[in-house]
Amino acid sequence: MAKGVSVFKDPEKTLYPKLPDVPDLKEGDRGLVRTKLHTFTADDPVGPKLHWDPIHRADQDPWKDFREIMRIEWKMEITYRHCLGKYSKFFIELENKKFYATECPKCGFVWAIPRPVCPDCLEITTWKELPGTGTLESYSISEFVPAFMKVELPYVLAMVKLDGADSLFTHQLRNWGTDRSKIKTGMPIKVAYTKEPVNHPLLSMWFEPA
Amino acid sequence: MSDRRVFVLGGGISKMAAERVDGNIRDWVTEAVMEAVADAGVEIADIDHATTSYFSDHFDKQLKMGAIFHDCIGMCPKPNVRVEGGGGTGGLAIRNAYAYIKAGLCDSMIIYGTENMGRHVPSDVAQQFIALASDTDWEVQVAGFYIAYYALMMLSHMEKYGTKEEQFALASVKNHRNAIYNEYAQSPMRITVDDVMNSPLITSPYKLLDNCLLSDGASCLIFATEEWAKTHSTSWYRKPRIEFVGTGCGSDYMRLADRPLPYPGITHFRAKKNASKQAYKMAGIKNPAKELDCFEVHDAYSGVELVSCEDLRLCGYGQSGPLYEEGYFDLGGELPINTSGGLIGMGHPVGATGINQGIEVLTQLREEAHPQRQVPLNNGQGGMDSHGGTGTFVAVNIFRRVD
Repeated sequence: MAKGVSVFKDPEKTLYPKLPDVPDLKEGDRGLVRTKLHTFTADDPVGPKLHWDPIHRADQDPWKDFREIMRIEWKMEITYRHCLGKYSKFFIELENKKFYATECPKCGFVWAIPRPVCPDCLEITTWKELPGTGTLESYSISEFVPAFMKVELPYVLAMVKLDGADSLFTHQLRNWGTDRSKIKTGMPIKVAYTKEPVNHPLLSMWFEPA
Repeated sequence: MSDRRVFVLGGGISKMAAERVDGNIRDWVTEAVMEAVADAGVEIADIDHATTSYFSDHFDKQLKMGAIFHDCIGMCPKPNVRVEGGGGTGGLAIRNAYAYIKAGLCDSMIIYGTENMGRHVPSDVAQQFIALASDTDWEVQVAGFYIAYYALMMLSHMEKYGTKEEQFALASVKNHRNAIYNEYAQSPMRITVDDVMNSPLITSPYKLLDNCLLSDGASCLIFATEEWAKTHSTSWYRKPRIEFVGTGCGSDYMRLADRPLPYPGITHFRAKKNASKQAYKMAGIKNPAKELDCFEVHDAYSGVELVSCEDLRLCGYGQSGPLYEEGYFDLGGELPINTSGGLIGMGHPVGATGINQGIEVLTQLREEAHPQRQVPLNNGQGGMDSHGGTGTFVAVNIFRRVD
């Protein structure tokens, strides 16, 4: 198959019929319901039969009297006042360009993504500053991201083993240039800090090749 | 543990599709329940208890949705509980049925699962809802979303064992192909490895065709004790009897980054290993690769299926890639996996997925599947594995045919 040709355009490859594109009603045609999008007759979703019929339906369309469907639009907006709780020192110190992790006083495990309580020992941990250097453990290069995430494509999600920590840390890898083949596991990484205002405190930092 | 035995009496599925505009979520549940009740040959009025399985309250902008399903099918005033475990929700619901019946809280239970993920919300918003199932403080903020996490795992698997992208693609080819013989499936397709490799890149190494689907649909299973079935189910003497013989559950750190090295690290599913160990022990299975006739693996992304096979002990660590090339897990192979089409071919309405898997195992063990996808029964045992998050919640269930 030629490169770039989508299999979805080949009708023989998809057996299930595509849904008809029903255009939304115009303002004046909505009747008394302002949010009405459309009223339409829905198909039988089981669609055309294959070679064999495992569905024991006496009537081929038992729901034929219930196929007229109205669709409306319903908007909802939500804003949260989200508390960062006992993890807050980590986020507060990012503004001072300091990277903090937590260390368990009992087992000595250093959690790179801080935890106020070590889950292995249930001991209250202590804050520990890390140098902000490390190595790349794994990464993924995305050509797609849901639009709400607001990052420039392509972007790299990196899993980094920070020096002095025992667990990994996930963040974006930025400023890696344009050559993807230069990103390799095991490469040295450093933490970089923002100079611009950000919407979430975790975006005050990211990773860069060291 | 009590000596009550738990049997699966029947199952029903309503068509999986990208967008079910012919009804809404409560209609699909009702369809699936009606089919399951007919399949099991029981009256809804006789069933003691219900379990509701759905993942997100956001998709259908409805909280406590279970109450609506419950009254739609005439189960009031009988008890109902909801279970939730991300993608593992359906598998956990099946386990819940076992626990309740085994404990003697009820003699029969109907479980129904569904999700309304289609185009009630734009794909973007759907992605956002699903992203909320990862850590919103630490992962979502850095533009982490599920395909990217799994891609991190797969890269690590590729580097550790030399698995190739083409081997991942084989899982997608197989599952789309198996779906052709499943009338309920959303995405039956005859494709090749090249089609997968040439489909648009989402997150390296994943292309569009490596991914599972956003689906609308519902499914339902009915469980009961032997005594209950003898008096209430007309199918008991007519259909092969399928016993629920093993169940296991496991969990792992929500964030991949926290998982201990070297095992599971960011390569493996520790929860799956733990869950399957429990389930096999309970079912008395020593060598799962030999003793099981079919398995439904949670293939949210093609690579997940390969890694899962290893952690479920269906093959050794690092062996899945070459075995996929051999066709070991294909229909007609040694151990057919995802004969229904799996999440990639069948669809993935989260709350229904695990139950779909259970129904597929039931269908296979009763030898009622389409002749092209029916597996030969050697031991009459089949399994399913259902997982949520990046292997954060896992349920493994084993069924056996007892004639």
